[in-house]
Amino acid sequence: MQNNRPVIVAVGRTKFGEHYGKKPEKLIEEAWLAASNECNLERKELDTCYMSDYFLPVTNKLGLEEGFLSELTELHVPMEVTRSFSAALKTACHAIEAGVYSIALVGGIEKMTDRWGKIRDDLMLLEDPWSYYAGGTPEANHELLLRAYIKKHGIVGEDLERLYGALAQVAVKNHANGAKNPYAQFQRKISLDNVLGPRRAANRSLGLFDYAPVSDGATALILTNEAVAKKMGVTPMVYVYGCGSATDYLNYSAREELDHFVAAQLAMCGALKESGLLNVWDIPLWQVYDQSTMMEMVSLEDLGYCAAGSAWRSIAESYPNEKGCYKVEGKELYVNMNGGLKADGNPLGATGGAQIYELFRQLTGKADQRQVTIDGAAPKYGGALEFEGFGTKAYVNILGRD
Amino acid sequence: MSSEPIERRVSYIGDRLRASRCQICGKEYFEIRDYCGNCGRESYGKMDNIDLFYDKGTLEYCTLIDEPTNKFRKLERFIYGIVSFHNGKIRVPARITDQLLKENTDFSKLEGKEVTPRFRRRYSVGKSDVIPTISLAFTLTDEYYPYQEYKIIQPTKDYELPGIVGYGVYSSKFRIKDGGIERAVPFIDEDSVTAAVEAGKLALIHSALDSQWIGKIYVGSESNPYVVKPIAAKVAQVLQLGEPDGDLQAIDAIDTEFACKAASSMFKDACALVNYPNSNINYTMVIGTDNSQAAPRGCPGGELDAFVGYGGAAYIFGKKDVIAEIKAWYSCTSDTPDFWRRDGEPYPMHGGRFTGDPAYNKHVRHAANKMMEKTNMKPNDFAYFVPHQPNPSFPARIAKELGFKEEQYTPAIQMQKFGNTYSGASLVGLAAILDIAKPNDNILVTSYGSGAGSDAYILQVTNQITEKRTRQKTTIKTLTENPHIEYIDYATYRRFKEGM
Repeated sequence: MQNNRPVIVAVGRTKFGEHYGKKPEKLIEEAWLAASNECNLERKELDTCYMSDYFLPVTNKLGLEEGFLSELTELHVPMEVTRSFSAALKTACHAIEAGVYSIALVGGIEKMTDRWGKIRDDLMLLEDPWSYYAGGTPEANHELLLRAYIKKHGIVGEDLERLYGALAQVAVKNHANGAKNPYAQFQRKISLDNVLGPRRAANRSLGLFDYAPVSDGATALILTNEAVAKKMGVTPMVYVYGCGSATDYLNYSAREELDHFVAAQLAMCGALKESGLLNVWDIPLWQVYDQSTMMEMVSLEDLGYCAAGSAWRSIAESYPNEKGCYKVEGKELYVNMNGGLKADGNPLGATGGAQIYELFRQLTGKADQRQVTIDGAAPKYGGALEFEGFGTKAYVNILGRD
Repeated sequence: MSSEPIERRVSYIGDRLRASRCQICGKEYFEIRDYCGNCGRESYGKMDNIDLFYDKGTLEYCTLIDEPTNKFRKLERFIYGIVSFHNGKIRVPARITDQLLKENTDFSKLEGKEVTPRFRRRYSVGKSDVIPTISLAFTLTDEYYPYQEYKIIQPTKDYELPGIVGYGVYSSKFRIKDGGIERAVPFIDEDSVTAAVEAGKLALIHSALDSQWIGKIYVGSESNPYVVKPIAAKVAQVLQLGEPDGDLQAIDAIDTEFACKAASSMFKDACALVNYPNSNINYTMVIGTDNSQAAPRGCPGGELDAFVGYGGAAYIFGKKDVIAEIKAWYSCTSDTPDFWRRDGEPYPMHGGRFTGDPAYNKHVRHAANKMMEKTNMKPNDFAYFVPHQPNPSFPARIAKELGFKEEQYTPAIQMQKFGNTYSGASLVGLAAILDIAKPNDNILVTSYGSGAGSDAYILQVTNQITEKRTRQKTTIKTLTENPHIEYIDYATYRRFKEGM
């Protein structure tokens, strides 16, 4: 098995945002070529492709994505499509581990702005049909989870104000990070008032600046085994140490626990077990799925960094701090250094790829202005949490360098 | 939604809020399940079908939606949240309906409140699509529409003649004050179908009959949102009328149309059916329902806009535990075009001054006089007279002309409270009388339908009326003197009336 441990040898991506003039195919081509160039790989060396898109069949009426990928690469190798990048990566990892394939292209793509006017209906209907039928919106589920969280933990008065402030800090931090990411959809800093203003105006717990945007974009990586990676002369080697995943009910209101994501907790357990790491604090670097600031907060708890009901306090106590990290009981935790979904963008099927892209850059010490250093060196381990739907599926990927 | 099978499945579950309960461990699920997750294969065939239609729930968490998804846009802003039933055994997503929210509404205070499921339109669709419905719309029980338990009581007393065994009247919480009268206005997710279901539900609660015992349902309306597709079928399924047989109901359901007398005309047919030997039909239901249509003011036919209302009334007929026996009837008809609506036209037209003498007056006068003549009765023999009531002046004028005194007909005239509810109009008037009548009171009802015809009925109240009154919280009085009634302006009224 040791020889077959999956290694990421290169990553590539497009800028996230609105790509009015580009077909979805063009975006994945751009990301894939960037990754191939990075490791000097000829497309004919690919044994297989795994691609993810959440709902191109709905947004772009593209039903057989493998066909356009075949046409694009002029390859006839096996190809499979999944919904999220993490699902594609996990499947590719299994194939590499099993020794079925040696070199795999893993890509993710989404083109959401082509269907701007209907995107929320489409998303909601796929994500949680009964809630949609009752009038629910994607944002409403986030707000209800936050209500459930606040009630469960009995957060009131000044504490509640501090919690809302902490959530605003999450958005400010992610925008500050996004400003250092040349591929991010939003590359500008925002102030606390930018977040609090729209909330107040709308009389809501979460406002415009608490939510990730709608985005177009594509991401890709080249996955291989250790032997091939060595032959390619890759240093340092970035391994996929663990891929955990778990599921939860489609209908949010029917779930047993409404105040956090059970699937994220379980996915983290699975990934930790697979990676052989015993202490979560071995992983000081995370990309979490901040579709809203609330989700980043709750994820700190679901991943095991903060006790249930305490993440807001840790976030609030972390500022001001010029490193941009959270401080939990004196330990430093670097989250969403690329700006997260909030600033980097959230092209669903490609989002997980951007998370891996950032971890790869950080672990290999090539994250430029965003580079995190732990004891003077690039971090050794990094993790990514990705969801499909509103906590219906969760994936945790743990990466580590040698 | 353009897929009929999906629409059928969603509304089959969602209209009635069908759920399941495991016989072994008691775990409950929204939707119908064949097995329980706790008990696994052991529970196959041991899941009870339950539903939440007559239940009340608690609004656990809620938030404001003011940027709805496209299909909910016409609602503008509403409270949305999670409702739990049976102490949290079942949780469902919920839209709180019947709320005209102001800016800065403090919705957090609603958490923890009791709510009742309401059958409503689900969301907007194209004009040629099937209209989606759902009961994941809720109202607060401490508001306009109270929670009422549906308790089944075995009837005991047999009657020689068939008659009314229960009734229910529904109208919305919104009203417009205009020209000296109040008129009911449907909320934007209501229509003649939802009012029919509500009225039927209240009639079942009042009669305390098992809905399975109803053998036929007639729904009279002139504002069915479909030209072809019966309201009665929806009512039968949502109220589970007739014995359920798989996903079918063992009941005959039919819509009738004759302008405003579409429902009143069926009273005698409904009675005849329960009186038919060996029919095995012990009870029948007649509903008159309308979201009365009128062109906007200033347009042709727009004169009606000052009178139209919204609501429905349901009557259950049978021969056991009767509260008012149908003693006699008389009907007359002529081809008089005083009011009509052509296929494909959204609003009716009317004959102006010719809607009075040659139409309403002539038919109502004739039917009432003939009825009294046939039965050898005089106006004095009646405690109450219920005239059809399209506007405030016609019913009082004809009642006076026929020789009735004010105290005999005034309590029946509810038009100035609900507006003209078209097929529901004389039925609402009759309900107002049944709410207050004493045993042995005689009642003369004359309905009128444009086009034109009139039905006269003589009813005699029995002494069971008093006891049954205690079963029903919703009466004409609670509907008209309700502190939660909300008055709206003309623009909102037109918007609500046009619907989702």
